[in-house]
Amino acid sequence: MLDVLEHVDVLTRMREDLKRALGKPVDQRRWVMVIDLRKCVGCHACTIACVAENKLPPGVVYRPVLEEEIGSYPNVSRRFLPKPCMQCDQPPCVPVCPVSATYKDENGVVVIDYDQCIGCRYCITACPYASRTFDFGGTYTLATPQVEGIIIGREIADAYERAANFEYLERRARTRRGASPEGNVRKCHFCLHRLAEGMLPACTTTCIGRATFFGDANDPESLVAELIGSPNVMRLKEDLGTEPRVYYLT
Amino acid sequence: MLKRAFIAIGALGLAFGVWGVYDRLAFGHENADYGSYVVWGLWVAMYLFFAGVAAGGLMLASLDFLFDLPIFKGTGRVALWGALVSLAAGLLSIWLDLGHMERIWKVYLQGNPSSVMFQMVWGYTLFGLVLAASLGLAIWRPASRWLKALMILGIPLALFVSGAVGALLGVQAARPFWHVGLFPVQFPVFSLASGAAMLLAAIGLFGRADDPRRPQQLWILAIITVGLQLIKLYFLWADFSQSIYGNVPLNVEAVNEVMFGQYWWAFWILQLGLGSLVPIAVLVHPRLARHSGWAGWMGLLTLMGFAVARANIVFPALTIPELKALTTAFTDVHLQFNYFPSPMEWAVTAGTLGLATLAFLIGCDRFALFSIPKGEV
Repeated sequence: MLDVLEHVDVLTRMREDLKRALGKPVDQRRWVMVIDLRKCVGCHACTIACVAENKLPPGVVYRPVLEEEIGSYPNVSRRFLPKPCMQCDQPPCVPVCPVSATYKDENGVVVIDYDQCIGCRYCITACPYASRTFDFGGTYTLATPQVEGIIIGREIADAYERAANFEYLERRARTRRGASPEGNVRKCHFCLHRLAEGMLPACTTTCIGRATFFGDANDPESLVAELIGSPNVMRLKEDLGTEPRVYYLT
Repeated sequence: MLKRAFIAIGALGLAFGVWGVYDRLAFGHENADYGSYVVWGLWVAMYLFFAGVAAGGLMLASLDFLFDLPIFKGTGRVALWGALVSLAAGLLSIWLDLGHMERIWKVYLQGNPSSVMFQMVWGYTLFGLVLAASLGLAIWRPASRWLKALMILGIPLALFVSGAVGALLGVQAARPFWHVGLFPVQFPVFSLASGAAMLLAAIGLFGRADDPRRPQQLWILAIITVGLQLIKLYFLWADFSQSIYGNVPLNVEAVNEVMFGQYWWAFWILQLGLGSLVPIAVLVHPRLARHSGWAGWMGLLTLMGFAVARANIVFPALTIPELKALTTAFTDVHLQFNYFPSPMEWAVTAGTLGLATLAFLIGCDRFALFSIPKGEV
């Protein structure tokens, strides 16, 4: 009983780790994400948290959860694989961009400059993890009827969707047709805007199974450094030499 | 009569295209069927096709202006005009495909030279300038020595830009179907074949009936077209057989998708049947190949086959999920692995083709491109 009371929630520990990391010079941090596949229950809370945090429109997804059924009846099991951007250290998406709109920033995170991106989508074809999606400019409430006085019509319903998000610490409301990020390629950025405020990425805090871990791998005291040192670690498509910063515990 | 029919078809295509372009500009990419998985669609395929015709057109024009082959005297201007019109149509297709069309200037002023796309954009810009200058000289100052100099500059540029199109796909290690080391070598061959077919169609369908050299020109162009078609078929066999024997799942699935998937009819009927085998079967007969109608229509069929071949390179590689479970992970109309061009995409392409047809025919008349050199009649 005492053990349970003294147990520190991993979120609390990761927040402490984050605080330490933010106190270091930027170039000495190495943000990584670790996902424990044995703990993931496939609830998709991380996907939804990400959509809400970044106000993602239809068709844009930063962190889908891939579900796979293994075996055949009656010997069937299911596994879930949350898949954010891998934030590769050798990202194939970066050199192909004709205008250098996507690059690794000082945090080592692969980012997109929405005002620079021309929307050619070459980077999407280059990504081996399908981690990038194109913003076609739709809204979830597009088909909502507008009937004054009877129901809440589209104009009110989509106010939330039109509200600004704060990706890359920039305030971008979806109020003008065609304005970025519409017409841009978009991707997971490890919630850089939250990190800047000392908060963990939305997917990490929302994970009900505590399956997602985030932190500075350059800090030997951090939880993520401890986890990626374990023998049951793997990364997706390692043979491509992309050096992902997302690790999976299997 | 035939010209009028083509003008009418071109005008219809253009009218359909006006609606498509309106839809594209008013609603962005929302009504397109491509998405974030099949990320490039019909317009990119048409760009690859038109760009190939443009590069091939200049290569064919060099037979007249650089190598001075007597039989090709007088064909260079048509080849250059066809190339210029094709280049404009290709650039229009790819420009409309951009998410932010207004930012195209950034590729020139804030570009990333290590990107193949950057190199291609710059290459095509230089190529377009050389093409336009060559055509201007060929029409207004045909005796100028600069014309030969421009041709000498134009041929390596044509090889570079068509090779760059191959490299654009070939450098993508994430897509084994595209990651073919020989793509930058194959694409210039495809371009030359497209240029030959374009000239065959142009001279066969719209050339002057009173030109005594016309049957012989058609016969030689037919031999070139058939020869390049056979080389192209060999490349296809080499690519597909190696992919299947190699047995890399993503690659095999893409090959199977082309042959037996949702585009099987485009591959077997349009690309191989009507676009390759029928023209080869007709054009190997000297009598038919010298006949303007047969030669012209076979040239047109060959072009159609090449356009479908470009589409069969672009779509299938993208319809194979990088990770299997992606198909059901998060759903939306733009997150699907099935792709068939939407009415808006067809409309824009019809408009581009219509505009190119009209521009080509009007230009041929306006600049009297099919005139016979003095002393030949």
